[in-house]
Amino acid sequence: MVRLQDSYDMFVEMDKMDGEMDVKIKKKKKTKKKEKLEQMKKEMDIDDHEISLEDLEMRYTTSITKGLTSAFAQEVLERDGPNELKPPKGTPEYVKFARQLAGGLQCLMWVAAVICFIAFGIECAKGEFDSYDDLYLAITLIAVVVVTGCFGYYQEFKSTNIIASFKNLVPQQAVVIRDGQKNQINANLLVVGDLVEIKGGDRVPADIRIITAQGCKVDNSSLTGESEPQTRSPECTHENPLETRNIAFFSTTCLEGVATGVIINTGDRTIIGRIASLASGVGNEKTPIAIEIEHFVDIIAGLAIFFGFTFFVVAMFIGYAFLEAMIFFMAIVVAYVPEGLLATVTVCLSLTAKRLARKNCVVKNLEAVETLGSTSVICSDKTGTLTQNRMTVAHLWFDNMIHAADTTEDQSGQSFDQSSETWRALARVAGLCNRAIFRPNQETVPIPKRIVVGDASETALLKFTELTVGNIIEYRGRFRKVCELPFNSTNKFQLSVHELEDPLDLRYLLVMKGAPERILERCSTILIKGQELPLDEQWKEAFQTAYMDLGGLGERVLGFCHIYLNEKEYPRGYNFDPDDMNFPTSGLCFAGLISMIDPPRATVPDAVMKCRTAGIRVVMVTGDHPITAKAIAANVGIISEGSETVEDIANRLRIPVEQVKKSDARACVINGGQLKDMTSDELDEALRNHPEMVFARTSPQQKLIIVESCQRLGSIVAVTGDGVNDSPALKKADIGIAMGIAGSDAAKNAADMILLDDNFASIVTGVEQGRLIFDNLKKSIAYTLTKNIPELTPYLIYITVSVPLPLGCITILFIELATDIFPSVSLAYEKAESDIMHIKPRNPRRHRLVNEALAVYSYFQIGAIQSFAGFTDYFAAQAQEGWFPLLCVGLRSQWEDDHLQDLQDSYGQEWTFSQRLYQEYTCYTVFFVSIEICQIADVLIRKTRRLSVFQQGFLRNRVLVSAIVFQLCLGNLLCYCPGMPNIFNFMPIRVQWWFVPVPYGILIFVYDEIRKLGVRRHPGSWWDQELYY
Amino acid sequence: MATLKEKRTCAQRCEDFGHFVWNSDNGTLMGRTPIKWVYISLYYVAFYIVMTGLFALSIYVLMYTLDPYEPDYQDRLHSPGVMAWPDTYNDLDLDIFYNMSDQHSWMKMSECLKHFLVRESPLRSVWDAATENCTQGHYFFQKKFEAPGHTKWACPFTQSMLGNCSGLEDPSFGYNGSEPCVIIKMNRIINFLPNNGTGMAPYVNCTVLDGHKNVGEMEYFPKNGTLDLSYFPYYGRKAQPTYINPLVAVKIHLVQEREAKIQCRVVAHNIAYQNFYDPYEGKVIFHIRASS
Repeated sequence: MVRLQDSYDMFVEMDKMDGEMDVKIKKKKKTKKKEKLEQMKKEMDIDDHEISLEDLEMRYTTSITKGLTSAFAQEVLERDGPNELKPPKGTPEYVKFARQLAGGLQCLMWVAAVICFIAFGIECAKGEFDSYDDLYLAITLIAVVVVTGCFGYYQEFKSTNIIASFKNLVPQQAVVIRDGQKNQINANLLVVGDLVEIKGGDRVPADIRIITAQGCKVDNSSLTGESEPQTRSPECTHENPLETRNIAFFSTTCLEGVATGVIINTGDRTIIGRIASLASGVGNEKTPIAIEIEHFVDIIAGLAIFFGFTFFVVAMFIGYAFLEAMIFFMAIVVAYVPEGLLATVTVCLSLTAKRLARKNCVVKNLEAVETLGSTSVICSDKTGTLTQNRMTVAHLWFDNMIHAADTTEDQSGQSFDQSSETWRALARVAGLCNRAIFRPNQETVPIPKRIVVGDASETALLKFTELTVGNIIEYRGRFRKVCELPFNSTNKFQLSVHELEDPLDLRYLLVMKGAPERILERCSTILIKGQELPLDEQWKEAFQTAYMDLGGLGERVLGFCHIYLNEKEYPRGYNFDPDDMNFPTSGLCFAGLISMIDPPRATVPDAVMKCRTAGIRVVMVTGDHPITAKAIAANVGIISEGSETVEDIANRLRIPVEQVKKSDARACVINGGQLKDMTSDELDEALRNHPEMVFARTSPQQKLIIVESCQRLGSIVAVTGDGVNDSPALKKADIGIAMGIAGSDAAKNAADMILLDDNFASIVTGVEQGRLIFDNLKKSIAYTLTKNIPELTPYLIYITVSVPLPLGCITILFIELATDIFPSVSLAYEKAESDIMHIKPRNPRRHRLVNEALAVYSYFQIGAIQSFAGFTDYFAAQAQEGWFPLLCVGLRSQWEDDHLQDLQDSYGQEWTFSQRLYQEYTCYTVFFVSIEICQIADVLIRKTRRLSVFQQGFLRNRVLVSAIVFQLCLGNLLCYCPGMPNIFNFMPIRVQWWFVPVPYGILIFVYDEIRKLGVRRHPGSWWDQELYY
Repeated sequence: MATLKEKRTCAQRCEDFGHFVWNSDNGTLMGRTPIKWVYISLYYVAFYIVMTGLFALSIYVLMYTLDPYEPDYQDRLHSPGVMAWPDTYNDLDLDIFYNMSDQHSWMKMSECLKHFLVRESPLRSVWDAATENCTQGHYFFQKKFEAPGHTKWACPFTQSMLGNCSGLEDPSFGYNGSEPCVIIKMNRIINFLPNNGTGMAPYVNCTVLDGHKNVGEMEYFPKNGTLDLSYFPYYGRKAQPTYINPLVAVKIHLVQEREAKIQCRVVAHNIAYQNFYDPYEGKVIFHIRASS
């Protein structure tokens, strides 16, 4: 309970912090939060647990025998609303949508659109708007932002739906007493004052003051992370409502016993409801990809302004008017905006998100896709994530040997030798002394997956015997049960008495199981190879060793024994009385030990290994015992073979723990108690010194401390969690991963990603995909950026050399938003160049998405070649139609004079303005075609950054090949579809102009192959530093 | 990540930037040591020299393949454009508005025509020789370069052929009254044969689109507004440096309100005039108004 209090303090503190941060932003919000906090503190001072039952009845106008009247309950229901947690106040839909419109790239495009409007405004004001290009451009920019925004929103909406569909739709039922009548109603109809009954297996339907209880125990782990069952009884044991025994909390589970109680809080006013609502206040962290994109936008904006300003000066120098130069400046800045990139990034991310969803990782926020790839630390839960979340028999000890049972999920492992007589006796005890039964109608379900009524260890034993012995229900039928004594905490054993299966043998068989040391106390003989031997010191020692060994594996050990009851003393019909115990409970015959564990999932050790090779630390954070935690950690490889903790070294060298050099120990197990006494520096130190960390017996808020510590050390942290109290840590983490099956709604709400199968191995898939998408996004961006230069240079040449405009605005938009989108997206399908799971996670400070080398290489080398290709084709088209290159220079003012209908070309032919205009469109188209051809070469070279394209497989990426085909088809459609000249300014150009840029395309390809060859041959050289991106 | 997200003060940012500009620890200037700057600059210089060389080579090859006499393609020049002078525009419309009583106003028009005709003015010596080879009413096909300087003959067109609109007798071109002259010119296109070589001469035909009652009569110079066949085909600037476009002048007799919208079309069956997107293809439309 102390821990629960801690968790409150933490929330309070967090709230304060939040408040402080908000001061800078919004004072209003702060006061609101403060009020909420005060209110909550006040509400914490409930005294429902302290007052007498009569006062309680008075307060809620109820009766502890008859409950509320139905009419009054209805009234209260109307007043208080249903008893359910309001879905955590998620961000309103319009805010979600607005967020889609406000990313780094989106902002860049908004600014560009505004600039376009300004430029259009200036041109209008000057009264000479001969073109609406600026207006079109502005509208297109806005449309792109809005459309991709809608797309992204739709994607996230879809994944939210998947998550929502995973919620448990079966309404919870509760037994309530109203008007003195016992009824079963939906739990959400309960109101304050209702008298309810809970029994083992139920979820507590609201916060309840216990009135009566018999052996009632609850599991508070969803609230506190404590895994030990807590007793609930009617007495008030503590003034703090959180620590007293007579209150059971909403959403916790009643493990055993029965209790009745009066509801004191419902819905969001319950403790858990308040935690859930407060946890949603923790701020979300920016995703690494968002940071990368902002960095990229900085680069783009810097270059755009630099270029714009340079040419502004040049234009002024040439003699343009200030306003005209200003328009040039704006046009250049806008031309730098990669219109298609936003769509590319969004589509690439959502493609990966889709791919992940197929592998059971649902991503709530598209950007989180990449975050997994940069993850360097995973803080994982144990139960359910690393393990199967079901107790399974792992080892048996009989005949003085430890036998290993098959713990795999699909029973594919090896079994042990079952020929011994002792085994038969042990199996019989395990099968008979067991109250668990299968739910009916599960014959088709594989045994390990069947649903069982009974506690965890009995379930394990039932399944185990079912698997080894056969149909255990029928088996039990053969041994009729005449008496049984269930397990209780004082005896710490369970026994039952059975008739024998042989009708002639009239003896009774007493079977018993329980805590091994208690069982041993009651035994005088031991079964070895079917022979009953006296239990002497030697055997006791053997037992002790086995018990210690199994305990050391972190397993829960049970002892089994039996005795045949003499038919003379206990004839048929003897009245066995479990309360009196009128039968022997000592001098039994010890059969063996069976130990159980929640075994790791089969895929986990492999997945942990993969993480390890991928340079990702897996830190286990669990509420479980250190021994169990350590055992599982060792089992799955979180603590690798041969790694020792400080304690292990101390044991081995037989020296005190203090003398061990901490740096010698790779592994470290820290439990919650130790963690509490550590300062954050000490924790950082521990995390730095020991690469293999296990945190055991931690409370959920300690998880938050661990996450923060990792982040302080510069790691990108992924956190898995399922409980309500995990939600702050999930939010604090760079990527929070909630469990789809076991996870609470609050956890799912706080997480960025949800594992539908609760399997750790899925995270590794996510990491792989995240890394791949980072690499591929880099390629896509490089591809998209390249064409910015051939789109910009025509305008620059147009300004400075006054040639007729080689490339129009609409044409550029077609390149950006139509022909080149598919190829750039297809790069997302590119396979990884090297084994990306064998390299360390990227260093977020050094491995940027877009670095200087990438921008410079794309812009000033490949982009330059593309520009040369474009101009070659442009001059070819112009010259072959009659306009020689030298004539073109300086021709602009005459060319664009729409009053001049007889401008002479190089051959003396006279052209009207419209004829010249269509010739200009021809130039646009020719330039467009050149960019397309060069972009085909570009997309081929972007397949790899280091390897040769031939090593990567020239045609292996089918999507990319079809993208190129699509690009060409679309290009042809634009060129040759009738009507295009007057709609989109595309002209049906001569076929040979398609081939003018081909040599340049080949040049690009060859040049990049040479670059890659140099990079491969001379890693670390000057060439590598300057030309590898 | 925490370190990445730290809020930094402006001073720190400036310091960082300063550090970027000149990092004394490893002697880097803007991220590179000076010697590396030299290397990378040299690399780029070399890169651009090679690229420019390749580009120059491409352009050279392009120019080498071109025929100096006629263009490879005439994709945009299926049909010649037609223009009228004086080319006084009001935005996109050709508006020939003048004030008969305001000398400044009509002088502008007549000066425009005068300049236009001067631009077309002849080199007599060459012309006389050319005239001998010209036969009116027939295409002037020339396979060989017989004219001096390895050129082809071009039939002369003299200002006087425009009769009353030549400006020789009436330097005002009628603009001091209500009978202004408008000169129509058809653009020249290499190897263009009006009426596809059927031997019918193209002629200018003006129609009144608006204000029929304001136009009394339209006189064409030369007669019938014919563009004589001997001016076709055109062999290009290099082959026919002396080529002068044949012109047609239209004297418009304005009456009543003296305002009209007129379309002048060069009639030949291979000259299109209904292109919505090119208002000057095969025809020209202008407003004419003589105010007093």
